[in-house]
Amino acid sequence: MGAWFDANLVSILNGAAIGCLLFILAIGLSLVFGMMDVLNLAHGAIFLVGAYLGWHIGGQDPTWTTFLLALAAALGAGLLAGAGMSLLTEPLRNRSHLDQALLTLGVALVVAELLSMAFGNDVQAVNAPPGLDSTVRVFGSVYPTYRLVLIGVGVVFAAGLWILVSRTMIGAVIRATVADRDMVSTIGIDNRKVKLAVFAVGSALAAIAGVLGGPIYGARPGLDSTVLILALVVVVIGGLGSVRGALVGALIIGQIESLGRALLADAASFLLFGALAVVLVLRPRGLFAGATR
Amino acid sequence: MSGMVITRRRLFGMVGVGGAAAALSACGSSLGEDEPAGSGGGQGAVKVGLVIPQAGVYAPLGVDMKNGWDLWLERHGGKFGNYTVTTVVADEGESPQTGVPAAQRLLQSDDCDVLVGIVNSATALGVRDLVTESKKVLLVANAGANDITGKASSPYIWRTSFTNGQVAAAMGRYLGEEGTTGGVFEIASDYAAGAEAVAGFRTAFEAGGGAIAGSAKPPFGKTQDYQPFLSQIRSSGAAATFCFFAGAEAVAFVKQYRQFGLAETTPLYGSGFLTEGGVLAAQGAAAVGIRTALHYTSELDNQHNKDFVTAYQEKYDVVPTVYSVQTWDAANVLDRALRSATATDGDTLSKALEGVGAIDDSPRGEWSFDGQTPKQKFYIREVEKKGDGYVNAVLAETDAVGQDG
Amino acid sequence: MNAAMNPAVTRVAVPAVVWLGLAAAPVFLAPYATTTLTRMLVFGLLAASLALLVGITGLPSLGHAAYFGTGAYAAGWFAKNVSAQAPLSLVVAALAGGAAAAVTGWVAIRASGVFFLVLTLAIGEIVLQLAETWEPVTGGSNGLYGIPAVTIGGAPVSNAGYLYWFVLAVFAVGFAALWLVARSPYGTALRGIRDNEERMRALGYPTALYKYLVFVVAGTVAGLAGGMLATQQRLVTPADLGFTTAALALLAVIIGGAGSLWGACVGAALVIIVRDSLGPTLDGHGPLVLGLVFVLVVYLMPRGVAGVRLRRGGAP
Repeated sequence: MGAWFDANLVSILNGAAIGCLLFILAIGLSLVFGMMDVLNLAHGAIFLVGAYLGWHIGGQDPTWTTFLLALAAALGAGLLAGAGMSLLTEPLRNRSHLDQALLTLGVALVVAELLSMAFGNDVQAVNAPPGLDSTVRVFGSVYPTYRLVLIGVGVVFAAGLWILVSRTMIGAVIRATVADRDMVSTIGIDNRKVKLAVFAVGSALAAIAGVLGGPIYGARPGLDSTVLILALVVVVIGGLGSVRGALVGALIIGQIESLGRALLADAASFLLFGALAVVLVLRPRGLFAGATR
Repeated sequence: MSGMVITRRRLFGMVGVGGAAAALSACGSSLGEDEPAGSGGGQGAVKVGLVIPQAGVYAPLGVDMKNGWDLWLERHGGKFGNYTVTTVVADEGESPQTGVPAAQRLLQSDDCDVLVGIVNSATALGVRDLVTESKKVLLVANAGANDITGKASSPYIWRTSFTNGQVAAAMGRYLGEEGTTGGVFEIASDYAAGAEAVAGFRTAFEAGGGAIAGSAKPPFGKTQDYQPFLSQIRSSGAAATFCFFAGAEAVAFVKQYRQFGLAETTPLYGSGFLTEGGVLAAQGAAAVGIRTALHYTSELDNQHNKDFVTAYQEKYDVVPTVYSVQTWDAANVLDRALRSATATDGDTLSKALEGVGAIDDSPRGEWSFDGQTPKQKFYIREVEKKGDGYVNAVLAETDAVGQDG
Repeated sequence: MNAAMNPAVTRVAVPAVVWLGLAAAPVFLAPYATTTLTRMLVFGLLAASLALLVGITGLPSLGHAAYFGTGAYAAGWFAKNVSAQAPLSLVVAALAGGAAAAVTGWVAIRASGVFFLVLTLAIGEIVLQLAETWEPVTGGSNGLYGIPAVTIGGAPVSNAGYLYWFVLAVFAVGFAALWLVARSPYGTALRGIRDNEERMRALGYPTALYKYLVFVVAGTVAGLAGGMLATQQRLVTPADLGFTTAALALLAVIIGGAGSLWGACVGAALVIIVRDSLGPTLDGHGPLVLGLVFVLVVYLMPRGVAGVRLRRGGAP
């Protein structure tokens, strides 16, 4: 037992790190869909906007100044992008969910192409800011410091969001909207403003995730679809509109992609979607369906 | 939005006008005997269809390929022999779904005499029947599947690039001769090119007395995080790693190889695409010390290459890559073939290509056709810092080998 | 075209003209145009089968290309290894598509809405992975190439025009099957399920069974379309199975208007023109144009091509 652990401890730790990044990446999508019933398929493209901003502002070797600047720029760009998406889908609010989802898919295609025209088609890599670019010894193996930091960042994010959602007035509005949107508008809270705010914040989170994920994912054409699919899987497994669900879903996926691939190397390419299919067969609405915290 | 009423009449009107315009150009008859289309170039001219990726993940390779092609034509008066060259470019995209229609468009709608290019091996294999039945020559300028000039060969399909097995075998032979004790771990993306590379490496390496310490196949296109595989390498106790990755996966793997401390304990070897072109810039310092095998590097010390690199840098502001050389050589080869050819149809061209002999003025060194694919020297290169950037410096070179490695 | 046009005449005359036009096409069109039209028929049947699922039954599937691809691989493998004789490989294709839909359908039907969307995406990706890794049968990532031309009575059909007629005939069969299902009482029940499933269940309809059956029917026709692909392109690759193909098929359905089978075919034609004819000449901007088409269609044509209103004197 001890030997098994030694060999796989690093994978388990790595799974947690990747899981935390996936959480930051997916929570925006979960909240937008859980609250507004709009499946924002442009989520991956907005992540890519953040990633390219991170590379463009910080370059391949960012300093702390440029890194924080990139985060701020991503926050701003994400808020704008989210507000834009909200306005774009406004005329479609009475049409089917499929129409809205396909509109966002079209926007995603256009945004991805614009990014490739603006930043080129080459694969770009970004290194971690100074100090975090090193390695530490963990469980007898060498492990990049930045990924450990990601675990910390993810925990802080999750805690912050959880407090926001369960202890504040805004959080109460969020939970009420997830539970019953029409009722919320009955008590006088303008639905459109809530939608705008949620879209903006959700997209800002995606863009920030793009900057934070730079040292692991880089920035390149095609990254948007990869990230979108990962986010979709996390959101669907964890249940919609739930911070706890998104965190658990993300951690599960993180482990599947790390420990799972280490243990089941031959089935590696089937693990992700196989797991999704299994969860949906057993719990057709996700693991934490209906939970609003 | 309420002001815009698109009635059916207006819609069909718009479609009708557009359709009529397109239909006029599409007139003809599809029921005639399958005769090869007439020469698109006319007397004294040849029309070449350049099939390269301009969108998607392979687009950077397409840029290099077009640059190499354009540069050759510019420096040789735009002619192959006495034939004036017209180039029509079509976007091959990312997969045969877009690649096959692109090639079809060039052959059937644009009446090209010759096709050059193709990065995606599945596309190259997919157009084999099309090209053979139309009796037009296809000069593959990148796609590396062994079968293209192997099991699926056709007298009309020639190649100026490489086979996946050939490149990897060069490294296998080198490592076998080096006498690496302690076994080598092989890792490659799980798709056809990766499998062919690993097979080529293993055959050559084991023939030289080497031992394989383990192997792994990260899912192709679905792996951004290599930690599980890097842990596997470490626990296998291998003395060195041989890998095959290209594009984004090459960047991620090389960076993470260093981040997880493996670069210090287990030297990394691979097929040259690991560190060729844009990916080397992205890898940066993480790539220093990696040794790869490829049939070209911009650092080659022969006069033709020096001239080529100078001209390329002057025109495009960047250093050429193996992809640029492959289309440069394609233009070179077509020029030689058309010097002796009396017509531009597929059969004549194919015969002329057979008689082309040794290409002695190529930047990659002297090479010749063997089984319709290059028989060429390979260079063992090592990544070094040079000035502000990184290059693949030449460590050693091998004898010329054909597609069987 | 004035207000006096009898709608009943239009309903018969317009389709008749279209079918006649399709039948006569190869006589007037150059080989490249005919090949493009053939591609449109293949994709059109796929889109129509998806329209049955999405538009008429309200099941938005992002994995429909899996059955298309399964049929294509089955037909290709059959033509290469057993026989290329005319209807055989197509029958195999339809059966394979239907079988795959039957196996995965019972899992998919249990979900609804966005969960159905993501579950079908997952199924599609799993089948794609199978195609990429099961190298001995599917050829792996290089795809199944070298599929022999279909033979009718021993003679291979390789001429663009004759091949087009063969594909058109198969298209007619597949489309007729979909049309019959859509017009039958079963089809009306499906529309009921789309509009209000709980009420249908309360009325006594076995909604789960009906949904499963339409899933299998749509999968069978998609498989048939896959067989047409193998016959026309003589190449099947994993890309034909993936999310991209499924998304393009969905786009075609939306362009055509939900609930309309012929609309989906028009949508498919538009997608093929933009991607295959225009695409290679746009210097790499093909995907951008496609994305813009997506956005414009969703905005300007809420009910798709089929829903565009016929102007009658006076009424807007």
